[in-house]
Amino acid sequence: MNATNGAGVCPMTGKGAALEQMSLIDPEISARPKAYYDAMREADPVHYDEKLHMYLISRFEDIQTIQRDPITYSVKHGYEAQYSAGFFDEFKEILERDGGGYFPDAIMSDPPYHTHIRGLMDRAFTAHRVRELEPLITSIIVDVIDKLPATGPVDIVKAFSVPITIRVICEQLGVDQYNADKLSRWSQAVTAQIGRMQNREQMIENAKELCDLQHFLIGHIRDREANPKEDMISDLVHAKIEGSDETKLTFKEIVSLVRALMIAGNDTTATAMTNLFYILATQPKVAEILMNAADDDRLMSRFTEELLRIEPPVRGLSRMTTKEVELGGKTLPAHAHLLLMYASANDQEEVFGCPRDFDMERSNLGRHVSFGGGPHKCIGISLARLEIRIAAREVAKRLKNIKLEIPVGEIPYLKSVATHSIESLPISYTKI
Amino acid sequence: MSALTVTFVEEDGTVKTLSGETGQSLMQVGKDAGVEGILADCAGSCACATCHVYVDDDWYTAVGAPDAVEAEMLDMVADVRKDNSRLSCQIKLTAALDGLKVTVAPLG
Repeated sequence: MNATNGAGVCPMTGKGAALEQMSLIDPEISARPKAYYDAMREADPVHYDEKLHMYLISRFEDIQTIQRDPITYSVKHGYEAQYSAGFFDEFKEILERDGGGYFPDAIMSDPPYHTHIRGLMDRAFTAHRVRELEPLITSIIVDVIDKLPATGPVDIVKAFSVPITIRVICEQLGVDQYNADKLSRWSQAVTAQIGRMQNREQMIENAKELCDLQHFLIGHIRDREANPKEDMISDLVHAKIEGSDETKLTFKEIVSLVRALMIAGNDTTATAMTNLFYILATQPKVAEILMNAADDDRLMSRFTEELLRIEPPVRGLSRMTTKEVELGGKTLPAHAHLLLMYASANDQEEVFGCPRDFDMERSNLGRHVSFGGGPHKCIGISLARLEIRIAAREVAKRLKNIKLEIPVGEIPYLKSVATHSIESLPISYTKI
Repeated sequence: MSALTVTFVEEDGTVKTLSGETGQSLMQVGKDAGVEGILADCAGSCACATCHVYVDDDWYTAVGAPDAVEAEMLDMVADVRKDNSRLSCQIKLTAALDGLKVTVAPLG
């Protein structure tokens, strides 16, 4: 079911742009990066972005190579070089002084330490375990749709995407009292630390938000130490390696992991929900197929995957080479800082024919790299997929005439090299 | 737990006969032994398709068909899916599977 181009022929677009004049930290390019990605894949697939001081990895096969070799391409060093870049010492000082401590991200590490940390968390996120959440997630999503005004327009980010994802993750973590606006700000403040587009004033503001977040989480962690419950915070606080009492997580690790669980899947899944409306509002043929397929599980699952391929919420995560290495025809020195451009790989014609067509019948849908790959592949895949799929299903059942209230070219995007997130999306609709 | 033997045929035809134990997943045995093509990116969560194998005809009945969650994952790699496709992370080894033989599917 190819919704946009039945003939299987697609026009070539975006070729020939002048690479050296472009940078990912240019807000215009960051918002609409396709031409930059196309030019890189074509002319210089391992491209040094002078302003960002990073090599941008734009081709599918090079991203795969990197993801499958976590020793040569270190997440730990890549992440540290990215984190609060330019302001790190000051940022750390603020957190140590006002935020209960500086807690480096335990999950952004290399094997074998990473294997140990990840092993403690994998079981909570299996596809089968997550599937048990379907009734709960459905009830949250239906409730949010019911509370939408009768017609709109509304900002879908604030009225739909953010409240749903925040409620789902807080439910999982066992956080029952929270302020959704604060949580949304906290999420953006954390994500901004790898976004590379904050100035010093914004860094200070973000650091304050993070202090606030950490105090909130530390309160919950201290509570679960004394009163374990059936929730993920308790699971982490009381995690033990099988057959041992010794190797439980340190307090610093627990804070960093609870923070990662709360934040990592929050903005990103919310962005995917917003993209759901963006696609339905701008691709009428896709909308028509979806509206008639709410009860078709296979199609809903394929719709979700194609939505993630065509609009990946995570734009780019970093690595650093630990030795000199050949990649994509270039010799990279040791300590080269890399950014993996997932949307670019997903747009590679040889892998996904007519990549800009929203095609739910692709035979290799699962090859997209929107969740990364290798041992660092997103742990929340199944939860993200399920949330998006239920959202798509319930929207198909309950809303129609979904329309974008501004021109596509005016959609605002968050300034970040880490994510590609619509900041607000005014949408009108009618309820069924 | 008791010992058993399983055989992986890699994409290039290399045959690897390995010892495993009941209770392990087939994926774990393959990954621990470095079988080519058994990457298991999602660590056995049934959330990717990088431990995809074709079960030998003689063994398919004993192994059984994928459940709905696994079938959805296999549908994401329809280009290399066959009637005897399974994700090896979802095959739990039992005494009845002693001697099991599978071929590793291409990663595409």
